[in-house]
Amino acid sequence: MHHANHYYGHSHVLARYCGLDDTDPPRLHGYLQHGWNIGDGLAPDHEYTPGVPSFLWSERTRRRAWSLGRRQGYVVGAPFAYLLAMDPLSDSDRREGTIWYPFHGWEGQHVVGDHDGLMAEIRRTEDGPVTVCLYWQEYRSAKLRRRYESAGFRVICHGYRGGWWRDLDPGFLYRQLAELRRHRRVASNRLCSAVFYGALAGCEPAVYGDPMHLENEKAAFGGQPRILREWAALHGPHPDPEAAHRIAVDELGADRLLSPAELRRLLGWPMPTSVPDAELTGVLTR
Amino acid sequence: MTELIGGEMTAWSDLDGNHGPAPAAGAEWGPLLGTATGHTLVAGPHAPALIDAIPAGQLTLLVRGVPDAESLAARYATRPGVTIRCGSLEKLSGAYDTVVALDGLDRLLTTESAGLTWDETLTQLLSLLRPRGRLVLRVENGFGLHRLLALPPTPADTEWVGPDGHTRPTGPDAVRARLSAAGVPVVRDYAAYPGALLGGEILADQALRGFLEATLTAAPAPSPAQLAEPARLITGALRHGLADALAPAWVFVAGPGPAGPEALIAAAPPPGVAAAPAVHAGPRASAAGSAGAAGSGDVAASAAGSAGVAGSGDVAAGAEEVRRDAGSRWVRGGGVPVPLGRTLEDLLVEAARRRATPVVRELLTAWQQSPAAGVPAGQVVVGADGVHRGLVPAGRPVEALRRLAATLIAGGDTHLWPSPADEAELTALLAGMTGRELDPRDAPAAPRPGVTSIRELTIVRDRLERELADARAQHEFYERQIAFRDHELKRLRRHNAVLSATVPGRAANTLVGGLKAGRRAVRAVVRRTRG
Repeated sequence: MHHANHYYGHSHVLARYCGLDDTDPPRLHGYLQHGWNIGDGLAPDHEYTPGVPSFLWSERTRRRAWSLGRRQGYVVGAPFAYLLAMDPLSDSDRREGTIWYPFHGWEGQHVVGDHDGLMAEIRRTEDGPVTVCLYWQEYRSAKLRRRYESAGFRVICHGYRGGWWRDLDPGFLYRQLAELRRHRRVASNRLCSAVFYGALAGCEPAVYGDPMHLENEKAAFGGQPRILREWAALHGPHPDPEAAHRIAVDELGADRLLSPAELRRLLGWPMPTSVPDAELTGVLTR
Repeated sequence: MTELIGGEMTAWSDLDGNHGPAPAAGAEWGPLLGTATGHTLVAGPHAPALIDAIPAGQLTLLVRGVPDAESLAARYATRPGVTIRCGSLEKLSGAYDTVVALDGLDRLLTTESAGLTWDETLTQLLSLLRPRGRLVLRVENGFGLHRLLALPPTPADTEWVGPDGHTRPTGPDAVRARLSAAGVPVVRDYAAYPGALLGGEILADQALRGFLEATLTAAPAPSPAQLAEPARLITGALRHGLADALAPAWVFVAGPGPAGPEALIAAAPPPGVAAAPAVHAGPRASAAGSAGAAGSGDVAASAAGSAGVAGSGDVAAGAEEVRRDAGSRWVRGGGVPVPLGRTLEDLLVEAARRRATPVVRELLTAWQQSPAAGVPAGQVVVGADGVHRGLVPAGRPVEALRRLAATLIAGGDTHLWPSPADEAELTALLAGMTGRELDPRDAPAAPRPGVTSIRELTIVRDRLERELADARAQHEFYERQIAFRDHELKRLRRHNAVLSATVPGRAANTLVGGLKAGRRAVRAVVRRTRG
C-alpha cells in the first residue's frame, strides 16, 4: 500500500512472524508506522488515503491519531517487538559498552551540529567501549566516519532503510538487534526509536548531548521541547533503566502484539500454505 | 351461555387483532391467573390460552364484539361455569371475587357508550369487585420504551376516542395510591416486558442485570418499524435503574391474599428454537403487541390467520418463577440458580466503545475457549468468577461470532476495527483476535436482517456513505499508482531498448537467442527419441 511499509525490513519481520515468506512479504493493506513518533504515528509528509488503516505501535499514538482525525488506527506494536518476541533475550548475551546513535537526518536531510563536541561528551560520559552507529548517509561520508573512528569509537551502520521498493534491506532490524544485544547501554542525543529498541532489548538507555538539528527543521507536534517535557524520565546520562523499560514497552506496544492469525487478517495477508487443516475447515485453533 | 348486556358491537372483534392490538397474552401471566378464586370476571379481550389457565369454577368473560362472544361460547361450550357477557362495561352488573383486566381498561367500552375517562372506567370496574376481592390489572405506560421508540402511529379502528392521558396514572406509585384509596391495596406489582414480569426487588439487584438484559432483549421487537431497536434502550434502562419507569406496562395484583411470585419469565422455548431467540414470535410478541400504540403488526396478523384469534400463545408452555431460595440465592423454575453478572455482549460492546482492544481480545478468547463458545454473546452471563453461563443451548461457535459481528455493525460499534469490515470480515477478525484462523469466505451465511428501525437505518446509511467515499478515494489512489507504474514500465522499456542496441546488448541478445534455439533443438531430439 505504501513504500514506507517496507522500511528497515519491517514488513519482512512481520511476514516471518505470520509464517509467510519473509524474503518477499505480501502487499500490506494499510500504513505501517515505521518509527517512534510524537504525532499520529506516520511521517509528517505521509500521504493518506481515506479508509486505509494505520497500524500503529502504541495505544498512546492511536489516541493521538484519533484526535487528529485519523480514526482508522489499530495498535499492533512495533515490528522490532515482534522480532524480539521471535528471538527473545537470553542470559547468555554478553554485553559490554555502549551503542551510540547520533541524531541523523533521513534521505535528503542534513544535520547541523558540533560532532566534535558530541564525541567529547560521549567520551566523558561512557566508561566502556563505544560503538557509534551512523545512518547510511553519514556512514557513506568517509570523513565523518574517520572523525568518529579517530576518537576511538567503533563505527557501524545497520544498513539501508530502503524506499520506493528499492534498496530494501530485510536484515536491518536483525543487525540492529544483534548489536543491541552486545551492548550494555544504548544512547543518543535525541530520544528516538533506537533508544526505545535498546531499552526493550535489555540495554540501559540514555539521552544526552547536543541534540543538534536538521536544516530547516520544523517542530511538528511540539517538537524537541515537547519530547523533553513529556519523556523527561528518559533523558540524562543515567535514567532509571526499569522505568525506561516500562516506557519502551508502552511506546513500542510490546504488550500489544497480536497473534499471527489476527495480524494476517488485519494486514490482508493469506494463511501460510503449511496449514492444511485450514483449507478443510476454514477454522483452526492456534 | 352468552348474554348481550347492551352496547354490544355486532360486527367487531378484538380477538382477531385486526382492529387494534392483539388481545392480552403472555405465557408469563399464567401463574398470576392460576391463583384466581371464586367467581372470576375476565374483562376485555384476553387470549383464550390465558383464560384456559384460570382454574376458577365460575367464570364470566366480558367482550365487546358479538363475533368474539360467539367464538368464546363455542370454545367453552363444554366447560361448565363459563358465562359470556357481550357489551359495554357500564352495562355489566354483578359482584366478582376476582377481576382480571390484563388488557388494561382501554377496550372495555363500546362505540355505544358515552365514554368514560380512564379513572371512571376503573371506578366502574372496581364497583364489580366484591369486598376483599382480588384485582389483577395491567396499566400501559404512556412513557414506556415502546412509546419512546414508536413511529408516529396511525390510529387503529379501536381508537374512536384517543386514550385518556389526563386521568391515567403516570407511574406505579400513582396506581398504588389510587387502588389503596379504593380499598384494594396493591400486594405486588410488576414491570411488564414482553416475556417477563419483574418485581421491584429483582430489578433493584444489579447482579441480575445480565440475566435480565439477556431475557428482555431476546424478545422480538414489538413493531416492525420503529425509531430504534429496543435492545439498546432496555440495556440502558437496566443500567440506570429505569427498567420499571420505562416498562411498556405494569401489572398490579391488588386485594388480600398471597403477594405472588417476585418475577415471572416466559419459560425457555424448546431446544432448537432456543438457538435463535431473536426469531421467536410466540406469546411474547403478542404481549408486546398489546402494549404497542398502533398495534396491528405482523405478529397479530399472522397469528390471526389460522384460528381467527390473535395472540393465542400456548400458556401451557409455561412460565418460570424467579425467586430467592432458602439460601437467599436467586433461582428460577425448579431451582436452577440464576446466573449473576453482566452479559458478555454488554462487556464486549463497552470495551469496544472504550477502544480497549486488549480487553476485547481477552473477553473473546475466554468466551471462545469456554463451553459457551457457541452461545450468542447476548445470552451469555459472565460471573464475577469469570465463568461463562449460557442461557440458551450452544450452536456453532463461528455462528455466535458472526452474530456478534452483526450486532456490532448494526449498533455502530465497529470503530475499534479498521473498515470497511462487513459481517464476514469482522467475523474473521474477531476469530483472529481469539487466535483462530478463519477465512471470511468460510464465515457462515447469515440471514439478511430486515432493518426497519430509523436509528439502525441511519447507521447503515452513514456507514455505506463513508465506505463509498473511502472506496472512491482509494480508487483515485490506485489510479495514481497505476499511472506511476505505467510510467516506470515505459522508462524501463526505453532503457531496455537502448541497452539492447549497444554492442554488449546485441551480444547478450545473440547469446540468449542461441540458448533458446539450442533448447528447442534438444527438446525436438528428445521428442523424436521417445516417439
